[in-house]
Amino acid sequence: MVSDSITNAPIPSAPNSRDFSKKKRANRSAKLKQCKLDARREQWLSQGAVKSKGCKEEGNCARKERNRSLENPRRRDEDNNNNNNGSIHHESDSESPSNSPTNSLLGGGSGSDSGTNFIGSSSSSSSSISSSSSGGCCSGSISEEEEEDGCLDDWEAVADALAADDDNNKSEPEHENSYSQSPSESQLSMQSDSMPELTDGIGLDSVNSMTESAGMVPRMSGNNTRAWRPDDAYRPQSLPNLAKQRSFPVTNRHFGHGGVPWACNNVLTAPSSCPICYEDLDLTDSSFLPCLCGFRLCLFCHKRILEEDGRCPGCRKPYEHDQVESEASVQGSSLTFRLARSCSMVARS
Amino acid sequence: MQASRARLFKEYKEVQREKSADPDIQLVCDDSNIFKWTALIKGPSETPFEGGVFQLAFAVPEQYPLQPPQVRFLTKIFHPNVHFKTGEICLDILKNAWSPAWTLQSVCRAIIALMAHPEPDSPLNCDSGNLLRSGDTRGYQSMARMYTRLAAMPKKG
Repeated sequence: MVSDSITNAPIPSAPNSRDFSKKKRANRSAKLKQCKLDARREQWLSQGAVKSKGCKEEGNCARKERNRSLENPRRRDEDNNNNNNGSIHHESDSESPSNSPTNSLLGGGSGSDSGTNFIGSSSSSSSSISSSSSGGCCSGSISEEEEEDGCLDDWEAVADALAADDDNNKSEPEHENSYSQSPSESQLSMQSDSMPELTDGIGLDSVNSMTESAGMVPRMSGNNTRAWRPDDAYRPQSLPNLAKQRSFPVTNRHFGHGGVPWACNNVLTAPSSCPICYEDLDLTDSSFLPCLCGFRLCLFCHKRILEEDGRCPGCRKPYEHDQVESEASVQGSSLTFRLARSCSMVARS
Repeated sequence: MQASRARLFKEYKEVQREKSADPDIQLVCDDSNIFKWTALIKGPSETPFEGGVFQLAFAVPEQYPLQPPQVRFLTKIFHPNVHFKTGEICLDILKNAWSPAWTLQSVCRAIIALMAHPEPDSPLNCDSGNLLRSGDTRGYQSMARMYTRLAAMPKKG
C-alpha cells in the first residue's frame, strides 16, 4: 500500500527491517495482539464508566469502540512515560523496540506520537494495526482516521475528558504541553473524515512529519487541549481543514456542460490540495494566486500548464504575463495586486 | 507520465470512495492499465435515452490532465453529437474547452448533460441533426428511443 510505505519513509534506514517485522508480526502475533487489545479495551471500559461522556456512543460500531479503547489506556501510558523520561525523540518511533508487538503494547516508549498513530491505525483495517502500531510518525494517523465517520463530537469529548484527567495527574507544565499535541492533532485529522482521499497522500504526511521532526510543532498552552483554530497563527498550513477540503467534490457536483463555475467556490475557499494533481498545496503554493479568477493550483502544475496552452483551468483565459500573487487578494473590494512583479515561472507565455 | 498516473490513481480512489454518490455513473478502471477506463452511464430521464445504459470507453493520454481524455460511446446511440458508427463524441470540453480541473467523473456528467441537450448545429450524426434542425422532434425522439431500446437496454426474455 502506498500510505504504508510513505509512513515508513521518513526514516530511511528503517523500511527493510520494518517490512520484515511487519510480516512476521502479521503472521505470528496477530492473536497475541488481539488478546492484549481486548484486555486493554476492557480496562478502558471500566475506566470509561466514570466518564460517561465518552461512552455514550459506545455501541455504535465495533471499530470505533476498539479505537477508543486503544487510545485511552495508551494515553495514560504515555503520560506515565512522559513523566519518566521527559524528552523523547520522534525518531525513536521506529527504531525503538516498540516494533515488537509486546513493546508496542506496553506503549508509551515512543511518546505521544506513537499514541496518536496507534489511534489512527486501529480505525483502519486489521492489517494496519500491526503495521502502524510501531508508527513512523503521528501524521500517519491523519490519513487513516478519515475512514471513520460520524463520531467527531464524541471523540472530542473523550479527548477533552482525558486531557482534563491527565492534567490532574501531571505536575510539570512541560508535559501538559507535549501532551496536548496529541488530541489536537487527532482532532484535526478527524475534521477531515468527510473529506476525499486528498489528505491520504504523500504531501501532507511528509510535510507533517517534517514539521514534527524539526520540532516546529507549536506548543499549546497547557489548558488548551483543543485543536488549532482555523485562524490560529501557529496552525500548520498543511493541516486539512474541513471547509477547504470540501470545496473540490462539491464543486464537481455543480458541473454543468460548458462553463465551469470554479470561481465562486474557489475564491472563497482555497483548496488545500491542488485540483490538478491532487497533491497538497504547500505554503508557497497556497499563497500563489496566478489568475484573477481565483483558481489556485500548485506551482508545478502552473508551470506545466504554461508550457502547454497557458490557460487557467478555472476560467480558461490565458494566464497573464504579470502574475497576481498575493495572499487572499480576492476579497470583495480590498483587492491588493502586485502587478509589477512578474512571476519567474513564466518561461514562455 | 508520473503526474498523470498519480492523478488517475487519486481519481480512482475518489471514485471508489464516492461510489454511491452519483448513481447514474459507474466508472471503472481497467484492471491492468490505469489509462483505460470504462464507464456505464444511465440515460437521463425525460429523454429518449431514458432507461438505457450506455457504455463509454476512456483512453487517457499520458499528458492528462493537461490533455483531455478520449471518450467514445461503445453503445450505439442516435444522437446528433455522437458518431453513429465510431461512437466519437463532439463535445467542446473534450476538445478545446478542456480544463485540467475536470475529472473523468465530471466528463461523464458532461456527457449525460449532452445527451439531454443535443447540439444539432455541430452534428456528427447528420441524420439525427437534420431531424432536430428541421424541427421534427418527434421523429428524432422516436428514432433515438428505438436505438436506445435496441442497443442500450438488456434484452428481455
